[in-house]
Amino acid sequence: MDPVGFAYLGGGLSIGLGALGTGIGMGILVGKTVEGMARQPEVSGLLRTTMILGIAFVEALALYALVISFLLIFK
Amino acid sequence: MEDIHLMEHLQPHILYPLKIAGIDLSISNAVVMIWIASALVFITLVLAGRMGRLVPKGLQNVMESMVSYLKQTFVTEILGEENAGWFPFVATLFFFILYCNLLGLIPKMFTATSNINVTASLAIVVFLCTQAVGIYKHGLFGYLKRFAPKGIHPAILVIMVPIEIISQFAKPFALAIRLFANMTAGHLVILVFIGMIIMFKNVLIAPFPLAMAVAMMAFEIFVSLIQAFIFSILATMYIAEASHAEH
Repeated sequence: MDPVGFAYLGGGLSIGLGALGTGIGMGILVGKTVEGMARQPEVSGLLRTTMILGIAFVEALALYALVISFLLIFK
Repeated sequence: MEDIHLMEHLQPHILYPLKIAGIDLSISNAVVMIWIASALVFITLVLAGRMGRLVPKGLQNVMESMVSYLKQTFVTEILGEENAGWFPFVATLFFFILYCNLLGLIPKMFTATSNINVTASLAIVVFLCTQAVGIYKHGLFGYLKRFAPKGIHPAILVIMVPIEIISQFAKPFALAIRLFANMTAGHLVILVFIGMIIMFKNVLIAPFPLAMAVAMMAFEIFVSLIQAFIFSILATMYIAEASHAEH
């Protein structure tokens, strides 16, 4: 068994699984925001700002996975 | 197929080696980009501020709309009037990061914020400001007391206090990694698409990666703005949280 191959495998799995959860989370986040905007269009500006802030938090999780996969692949 | 070293494009090149008292202070292209970004922040904001036209036009219009939006979001919604003095600091952070991010999109330039050292130093400055404002507002003991709120069972405090202290250090860490990873990932995706053209060496395939690279470039402009905004709004929230009274 080649340990370098496992590093590549781990790098691929890291970003893949990380993006899986983040994608689901981001979908729920944006969907709920659109729901709120449709119900109360007058607060859509506030909702948009909050959504973008929330997206940045969720997106950061995928980026942590990306950093880990970089570390595993570009050694 | 020759190897394409993608990560090489994200490493800073040393232009002028410099070592003072054993500390490596070499002038790399990241340092030069920081100088250019600082100079641009200074020049554009001072010029826009000096214009003073009643009906803003051109540069003054751009800067005024940005600053007034930041002021509305940061001061009115988060900081409140008593902490309005922190607005220049967070607005400067926003403009500096924005200029660093945008300069990296110009070919032959380097993104200073795609280097972990730059983002980490910015995050450390934010961390120090957060601690300083907490100590200044509540006194050293008043600030330390916030880590152990009243009316909580001592058995829970044993777990809570370390978590609170760790979370103080985790905040700037997350701040630095978020900006660094976003900028690195965005530029790497553009590089991968351009690398595809070199890999395939086929005129028929080349337009598709090119179109994707252009689309990603446009998306990166948006990401540059958002990330600069996120970094500064989080810095604002940490400062506001540290200064507010015990809850």
